[in-house]
Amino acid sequence: MKTTRFLSASAGVAAIAAAALVLSGCAAGDTAETSAQTDSGGKITVWVDPPRVPAAEAFQEAYPDIEIDVVQIDGTVGGKTVKQSFANFDSAGSGWPDAIFFPSNDDIAWATNSSSNYAADLTDLLPDVIEGYDPAVLSFCEIDGQIRCLRNDAAPDVFWYNKKFFDDNGYTLPTTWEEYADLAVTIAEEHPGKISGFLGDAYAINRYLQGANCPTNDRVSESEAHIDLSDPNCERATELLTEMYDGGALSTQGIFDGDAAEAGVNLVMSPGAVWWGNYLFRDTWQIPAGEMSAVAPLAWDGESSPSTGNEGGGLWGVSSHITGKQLENALTFATFVATDPRWQVDLSTGLPGYGPVQDAWLAKIEADAYFADIPTVQQAFKDAASAVQPYAYMLYDTGSVWTEKVSPTLISGGTMPDAIAAFGEELVNQAESVGYTVQ
Amino acid sequence: MAPYLLLFVVAAAIPIGYAFWISLQKAPTLVNPQTGFGGFESFVTVVTDYRFFGTFVNIFTVMIIWLPIMILGIVAMALLIHASPGRFGGAMRFVYYIPGALAGIANFVLWVYLLNPSQSPIAFLWQDLGLTTLKEVVTTENLPLILTAMLFFQGLGTWIVIVNGGLNGISDEIFEAAALDGANAWQLAWRIKLPLIRPWIGYAALMNLAYGFQLFLEPYLMRQISAGSIDSEWAPTQLGYAFAFTNRNFPAAAAMSIILLVITLAIGIIIVFRSGLFGEREEKAR
Repeated sequence: MKTTRFLSASAGVAAIAAAALVLSGCAAGDTAETSAQTDSGGKITVWVDPPRVPAAEAFQEAYPDIEIDVVQIDGTVGGKTVKQSFANFDSAGSGWPDAIFFPSNDDIAWATNSSSNYAADLTDLLPDVIEGYDPAVLSFCEIDGQIRCLRNDAAPDVFWYNKKFFDDNGYTLPTTWEEYADLAVTIAEEHPGKISGFLGDAYAINRYLQGANCPTNDRVSESEAHIDLSDPNCERATELLTEMYDGGALSTQGIFDGDAAEAGVNLVMSPGAVWWGNYLFRDTWQIPAGEMSAVAPLAWDGESSPSTGNEGGGLWGVSSHITGKQLENALTFATFVATDPRWQVDLSTGLPGYGPVQDAWLAKIEADAYFADIPTVQQAFKDAASAVQPYAYMLYDTGSVWTEKVSPTLISGGTMPDAIAAFGEELVNQAESVGYTVQ
Repeated sequence: MAPYLLLFVVAAAIPIGYAFWISLQKAPTLVNPQTGFGGFESFVTVVTDYRFFGTFVNIFTVMIIWLPIMILGIVAMALLIHASPGRFGGAMRFVYYIPGALAGIANFVLWVYLLNPSQSPIAFLWQDLGLTTLKEVVTTENLPLILTAMLFFQGLGTWIVIVNGGLNGISDEIFEAAALDGANAWQLAWRIKLPLIRPWIGYAALMNLAYGFQLFLEPYLMRQISAGSIDSEWAPTQLGYAFAFTNRNFPAAAAMSIILLVITLAIGIIIVFRSGLFGEREEKAR
């Protein structure tokens, strides 16, 4: 057992940088069982992506007595460097950070998987904090009945639109997805160049397919996944996207593309996460104040309640490998970054996931006076979480499969149904390659 | 010989043996934690992976386009520089060397700008092709051409200097004898210099081939700048990386590297023997 562990520990390194392994092999003679928890006596190490560095700094200021090592990690969504480190830590049986901001939400899948089991079950460790969350917001952290992470920010999609454009041209806001598609095509005809959505980023799958409750990410169990792109819910999303794309209302670019700002200022309406407001419209695309506004998510024709996706909304995890004072401090850290207004209200750009501090953050929108029709925006932000459709993070990166297949298929001349079919096929391939049985 | 042997054992023989041993283990995958001796199971996993042949098609597509252009470019430029004596030749040699001397990442950033239709000095070229966004330029179809251009301009200068070194090693007496026999500059290059630098050309082909097979960083970063349009498992090395860190299947990753080693070694041996890289021709050149 010991030998095999040691071998698999060094194997990955062998594949990539061969010489180093021999040395690491010699050093890694004894491997700890994953169940053995250690206590540093208080010092903690936390891993954060660049936008979350201020959170760790605010913690240092608030708790100067806790010795903390803040490590800045690669924050690329869908990046593999953090995965790589953890694969090595898990094999070596040591080296894990005590708390982490996962760069991709998909990371929660491997971090809670039995082979890694990094993320501690917080259900009994932080019951009061968990109590403060709307269960809908925390649903991504609930895996097989345990709460394995804390949400940094809530990121449900609301329906964004350019109020100035709508007022100037006398358009009526859509209330259903079907009306959105029809209006998008009309606007594209009457105002060439104006667009109503982006397809090329990793969150577009959430925006449209999750918003339609299409089973792309339906985790049946640890080893089984249900993927069915021929489901009527997926077909309605494909029809919607086809109508809009053929009508020239959608861009193949993604919201994060370096050159998307030009298209961004021409966006007249789109479903999009609450963080689009400050992060995209105000700071990245620099759309003038008083133009953009948000309303509640859209409903599908014939359905009474709205239906929407969720784009990110980062996750904090705590190590399951620590105990005693070290665990206590790591939990203090997690509680601070998830709930404390000194980070969540004063510094964070996204709507806090933790309920009790949401109102204080929403009040800041008023002082900021960037959006048009602020009371409606505030209400939309608060209500959207309950309309989010189920979506489970998997051991592979669904967003990457989307960016690799959808826009490239369209750019090389394929149709929208071709693109969605290519996406569905690759999704099944990825799932089977990782080891899921696909139903 | 002894220091070389030591390096070979530490940096090649032991890791290769170790990788082979790992590849014979059975992986504890994310959904099946059983381990043990697996025989050639991981090789089967690798070869039957739905991306396996695709990644080799990708890398061979680049090689077929890039290697001939690269070798022709190196030889032609080295001969031209060698035929331009004095300051001009020296100055040009330096100019060609500059892109290769730049740090890799600075070079890469340069390409990001060149490829972006909204910033590039050659934007007119992209506009004429009807390409208006970076995503439309950096596609899987265009990637072999983009990589060819990147690798060519990055590597050319260094190899001109090396092959030029080979040309400088040719004795002046040979050129004098050829001149006496009435050879012009063209005949000198074609009939005298080229045959004598064949081992250097072989060496250039071998090293570039090895580099090409290990392509990882270039497609990896191209994926990032195209915001995920390029497959994350585009090259065989990237597939190995995914086996290790997405699938957590270290034996499969080790098997992938063994497969790459066997292929590169086979092609390398062919080049070594065909070009006389380590043979008597080298003696003749002196």
